[in-house]
Amino acid sequence: MEDYKYLFKVVLIGNAGVGKTCLVRRFTQGIFPPGQGATIGVDFMIKTVDIDGLKIKLQIWDTAGQERFRSITQSYYRSAHALILVYDVSAQPTFDCLPVWLREVEEYASPKVLRVLVGNKVDRDDREIPPAVGEAFSRMNNMYFIETSAKDCSNVDKLFQEIARELIQTMRNQRQETSQARQPGTIARTPIPMTGPLVNMRQLTLMAPPKSPGQNPTAASLDPPVL
Amino acid sequence: MNSIADIQEEYNRLNLEEVKVTEKLDLLLSQQCHIEAKLRNVSLLVPRLNTVKSDAKHLSEMIHFTCTLAENVSAKVRELDIAKGRVSECQQRVNDLLDLQLCREGVISAMKSEDFEKAAAHVHRFLSIDETTLKLTAGDVAQGPTVDSSLVLLHEAQAQLCKVLQQKFDEAVRDSDAASVERFFKIFPLLNMHEEGISKFGSYLAVQLKDKTPKSLRPTDGDSNNIRANVLFADTLTVLLESVARIIEIHQPLVETYYGPGRLIQVVEHLQPECDKQANQILAEFRRSRQLDKQIRLVSEAKVLQEKCDPRVLDAVLAELTLLSSRTELYLRFVRRRIASDLEVGIPDQNSRQLRMNEFEKLLQSKVGISRAVQELLGHYIMLERYFLSESVSKAVAMDVAVEGSLTSSVVDDVFFLVKKSIRRSLTSCSIDSICAVINNACTLLEEDYALVFQQQCKQGFPSGYLDLTQAYNAIQSSLQQGSIRLQSSDTEKTKANFLTALNNIETSIDCIETLDKNVSQEIQVNLGSTITNRDQEKIKSCLNGFKTTTSKFRQLLDFGHEQLKSSAIKPRIKPWVDQLLSVNHVIDEEEFSCYEAQDPFIQELNLHLDGFMSGFKDSLTVNNYQTLIGTLTSQVAQQFEKVILKTNFNRLGALQLDKEVRALVTYLSTATTWTIRDRLTRLTQIVTLLNLENLAELTEYWGPNAGSITWRLTPQEVRQILMLRTDFRADEIKRLKL
Repeated sequence: MEDYKYLFKVVLIGNAGVGKTCLVRRFTQGIFPPGQGATIGVDFMIKTVDIDGLKIKLQIWDTAGQERFRSITQSYYRSAHALILVYDVSAQPTFDCLPVWLREVEEYASPKVLRVLVGNKVDRDDREIPPAVGEAFSRMNNMYFIETSAKDCSNVDKLFQEIARELIQTMRNQRQETSQARQPGTIARTPIPMTGPLVNMRQLTLMAPPKSPGQNPTAASLDPPVL
Repeated sequence: MNSIADIQEEYNRLNLEEVKVTEKLDLLLSQQCHIEAKLRNVSLLVPRLNTVKSDAKHLSEMIHFTCTLAENVSAKVRELDIAKGRVSECQQRVNDLLDLQLCREGVISAMKSEDFEKAAAHVHRFLSIDETTLKLTAGDVAQGPTVDSSLVLLHEAQAQLCKVLQQKFDEAVRDSDAASVERFFKIFPLLNMHEEGISKFGSYLAVQLKDKTPKSLRPTDGDSNNIRANVLFADTLTVLLESVARIIEIHQPLVETYYGPGRLIQVVEHLQPECDKQANQILAEFRRSRQLDKQIRLVSEAKVLQEKCDPRVLDAVLAELTLLSSRTELYLRFVRRRIASDLEVGIPDQNSRQLRMNEFEKLLQSKVGISRAVQELLGHYIMLERYFLSESVSKAVAMDVAVEGSLTSSVVDDVFFLVKKSIRRSLTSCSIDSICAVINNACTLLEEDYALVFQQQCKQGFPSGYLDLTQAYNAIQSSLQQGSIRLQSSDTEKTKANFLTALNNIETSIDCIETLDKNVSQEIQVNLGSTITNRDQEKIKSCLNGFKTTTSKFRQLLDFGHEQLKSSAIKPRIKPWVDQLLSVNHVIDEEEFSCYEAQDPFIQELNLHLDGFMSGFKDSLTVNNYQTLIGTLTSQVAQQFEKVILKTNFNRLGALQLDKEVRALVTYLSTATTWTIRDRLTRLTQIVTLLNLENLAELTEYWGPNAGSITWRLTPQEVRQILMLRTDFRADEIKRLKL
């Protein structure tokens, strides 16, 4: 048997060219492949991470952003533990498409899925979406939010680490729930927030952009979720 | 040094040192004669060394001499070598000059007689001569002007030949004279015109392809009687791709022989756009003729539209879609393999080879390429296949009927037939991503739509009527067989039978999913095993794992169903039966004991009840479900029995009576099932053992260190509570027991 405690499926979605493959490559292989061709269908990678001494196996599904692969990608939504919706901070159209993506998520994914919004390519000078806008969108849609750059590696590890951390927590809560349900006589505690939509928006640490520091100081100072 | 002790210690130390020194000295002295002997030997050797030295000197002088000699010789050899090189160069140049003359004459005569091969061969020879050195030589040689004029003439001949060749080639193409085309194609490389030759030849082949295909497109349009009508477009595409592949295969040796390896890719680069164009025409015709876009619209807007897309209509289209994909996949694989092996010989550098291959891949993936068009179709295929499956499954659910002689209803067989069909069909597409997507969608469907049906049936629960179940089941079976359902009186029976069927359906579904998982994995290995990469294998494996998740979901559902059965059918039934024990006195004398023996007061009736209860289910449940039911029943009986015992008092004979009763129960239940259920009765038998003690002291033989093989399932507190039930045991003594 392989040596890990949990296996989580993470699926990356978002328009073509926002850097999904680069994020995955950066995280799993530590490289930034320039001139990456468009992904065909889906690709998948595995990386084991260590969270507080627990070995977590992340199965990362990197999907093609192009329209013609949509029905292939959709078939992976339901079994996902976490969905990462990626846009390119330097391309307004990729941000404008987010509601379309969310509708798809609503239709095909499990309601319990962990949803994370990622603004990628913060290393670029020609930013079009300020962090506050991305953050507001994520808040409105009950999603976690983080800005990354696969090129200069900022926040990439953090993104996946926090997802793993959060999923462990969800797993633990579920265990607790079932064990409580089995014991007659004990009064069941209030349900765990993860089973419904996220009411208490907790913030993954937001990376302050190099060009406009202090634009969103509150977001930058928030701590990652505590286990 | 201020105390005697210190001094004493120091003294001792010095003494010790003295002893050591003496020892060392002794040792050295003992070695003296040995050393002296050695020295003598050495002094004897000295004169010999002198001889050796002179010898060595001599040798060194000799070596030095030889070395000089060798160097002298080699210098001469080197000079000779250079001279020889010059001579052969000279010879070469003379040869060149002679050849030049020959070529000049040859070209003139060959051109006259239109023997282009010969002329080209002469030009080829001329082109292989280093022209600049030739010109230099020309200055030294007396026949200078001839050389110059030859050069001019040959250049002229080359230019002319080029012109003629292109003209002739074009003419041959126009007349579609394959033999001449081939003839002139072979001449191009002789004139160092590889690129031009390949490019012309490539476009010629593309035109050939173009001329060939329109004849084969739509040969049987409108003729629906043809058995291949359903796959007409797949067949047409196959013909196209096969002819492209044949062109590549036939001309590869030709290109390789006359142009060298690594050139095939250029031919294909000319051929592919035409192939793409033709393929796109076929696919567009396919879309139009099969009304694909209408189907897609109907399916994607199924929720809003009135008109529904009939899954049966889709069936044929889906099959053709997968065929289109598999043909394309096969073709692309062929082309990639051919190109790669050709490049392997042609371009030795791995990096530049990879670069060239990537460039080619870009062509294959181009916006107007067949590859992209098929990817688009596969996207639609997956969506339509999902729709097909979910529609067919809901139809199967709606038409669900009991099957005579079967414990499950028709839905199980129907649904798994459909799922298998759907996944099998996806396998024919040869596209790993599509196969994975279809498997994913199948898992989703099973876990959501299909499981939901049973979940609802289980939620309704098992109605707890007083009617005997055998009757109920028979009634519903016969009424179903007769085709008329007499509802009013048999409503409850129907619900009961439905519930049990649902339970069987769930249980059988688990088996079916496991079989499906196994079969699909096998079929993938058999059909695609040799062609898929490791990464793809992993991908498929991961998607197939979805079946395991689905299985566990169905197991949960099965547990839920059995739980429902327990709370509504088992629990309420057995309570009154076991409670009968309360009315049987267990504080009895010998006479009453034998009376009980003659006429059993309780257990026979209980066993009879249980027998009746179980036989009511036996024929309506699958083996596993029936075993689970007996298991639950046994646990429930044991629990209820325990409760009743705790409300009863016993004397020695009464306990003996209870022992007989419990033994009868255990024997009966053990024979009723092949599955070991004694474990569920352990607590009960242990309680009986306690109640059957002769006296309290006997307990030590069973409890604590003397327990031996008995693993007690009772706590000390429970032991006391049970012992209290014996009227002849004293409470204070029981309290004093050390447990």
